[in-house]
Amino acid sequence: MISLYRPGDSLLHRLPAGPKLLVVMALALGVSLAPADPWTLTGAALAVAACYLLAGLGAVEIARQAYKLRWLVLVMVVSQVFFLPALTMAANVVRVVVVILLANLVTLTTRTEQVVDAIERALTPLRRLGVNPSRVALMLSMTITTIPVIAGFATQIREAQRARGVPAAPLAFVVPLLIMALKHSDDLADALTARGID
Amino acid sequence: MTELELSAVTVEFPGRTALRDVTLRLHQRRIAVIGSNGSGKSTFARTLNGLVTPTTGEVRVHGIDPVRQSGQLRRRVGFVFSNPDTQIIMPTVAEDAAFSLRGRGLSRAEVRERVAAALHRVGLSEYADSPAHSLSGGQKQLLALCAVLIGEPSLVVADEPTAYLDAANSRRIARFLLDEMPQQLVLATHDLRLAARCDIAVRFEDGQVVDQGDPAPVIARYEHDQDES
Ligand SMILES: Nc1ncnc2c1ncn2[C@@H]1O[C@H](COP(=O)(O)OP(=O)(O)O)[C@@H](O)[C@H]1O
Ligand SMILES: [Mg+2]
Repeated sequence: MISLYRPGDSLLHRLPAGPKLLVVMALALGVSLAPADPWTLTGAALAVAACYLLAGLGAVEIARQAYKLRWLVLVMVVSQVFFLPALTMAANVVRVVVVILLANLVTLTTRTEQVVDAIERALTPLRRLGVNPSRVALMLSMTITTIPVIAGFATQIREAQRARGVPAAPLAFVVPLLIMALKHSDDLADALTARGID
Repeated sequence: MTELELSAVTVEFPGRTALRDVTLRLHQRRIAVIGSNGSGKSTFARTLNGLVTPTTGEVRVHGIDPVRQSGQLRRRVGFVFSNPDTQIIMPTVAEDAAFSLRGRGLSRAEVRERVAAALHRVGLSEYADSPAHSLSGGQKQLLALCAVLIGEPSLVVADEPTAYLDAANSRRIARFLLDEMPQQLVLATHDLRLAARCDIAVRFEDGQVVDQGDPAPVIARYEHDQDES
């Protein structure tokens, strides 16, 4: 979601985010419930591949996305290989991989901004209940922005501790992380105020 | 109207007076603010955009009261902080720049156009769709500057904008602030070479203005005093 978007102007890029999300959710549901039949699943895999090509992403991107799932696939295979018939196991793996590739296709072809806008629109009916959709959308965007920052803090702390030869202790990790996160949110609040949001 | 006016401004924090009865009148294009750590530079900078409210006294920025007319003020005053990481609000470079234009009643097309122009100005066009946090420190600071300039402020306040940057990026930011942008600038800095390039330097010590005027002599006296102590 954070760093996946690939600019382009394919049909999939131009499709509005809301409908695209709904279609993908329906497809994912379909794939999850599809019978463990080799032809159906091969068809589903080919269909996803076709969607990637349609989005102008190419075989390399499919391979990259699939490669990222290698550990997940390994875990699934190891945990199932002795208990399930080969076909069922293969079907499960294909289903999961296909669903994840579908989800990634959305993030590859949709700007975060559009996803957030779609959520904002979907929340509009809740306005009467006192929900402020644009505030929710802003919080969502800021959360997405902040995730890599907090991840960066975590890395910094781990490195600092390793540099001093401190053995891994959960508390010695969580406390500084919390402090850094709070300091960050304080500074961010100033930046928000300075940019005209109170 | 480019006047910055402080009349008998005192800012007190619990157990600490950050500004003491400061009276100033400034109209220069580039105003350097210097002084030791804890002398009140940041507090002064922050009173100019209402992030800090004076305990007593009056502030006028181009005729606007930063606290009582905060809405109007935010459109006229842009603020650049030191830490490039804490100024990014939105996930991608273009979205973050566009964020400054929220609530101005611009169409999507207008926003896109202004974002493209502003990113081009700071040389970040090719990163428009990149995650903002994938930028280098210098690029993030350029983005922060871009996000300020896109709102077309008449004053830019920068609090140690080069503190986190390497030499090359510092020079780039400084060149932009001091030479390229037309806006009035208040620059709080430890880098006396930057202060020397301004039109006036104001020196704070212990919450008070102790010296002001032509940068070269003000800086010379500051360096002299530091060598003494
Ligand atoms: N939010 C705050 N709460 C309490 N004390 C503060 C706060 N901000 C600044 N101060 C104090 O006010 C004094 C002036 O700080 P500051 O304006 O940040 O100085 P400078 O930017 O010149 O280093 C310092 O002693 C600082 O500790
Ligand atoms: Mg400071």
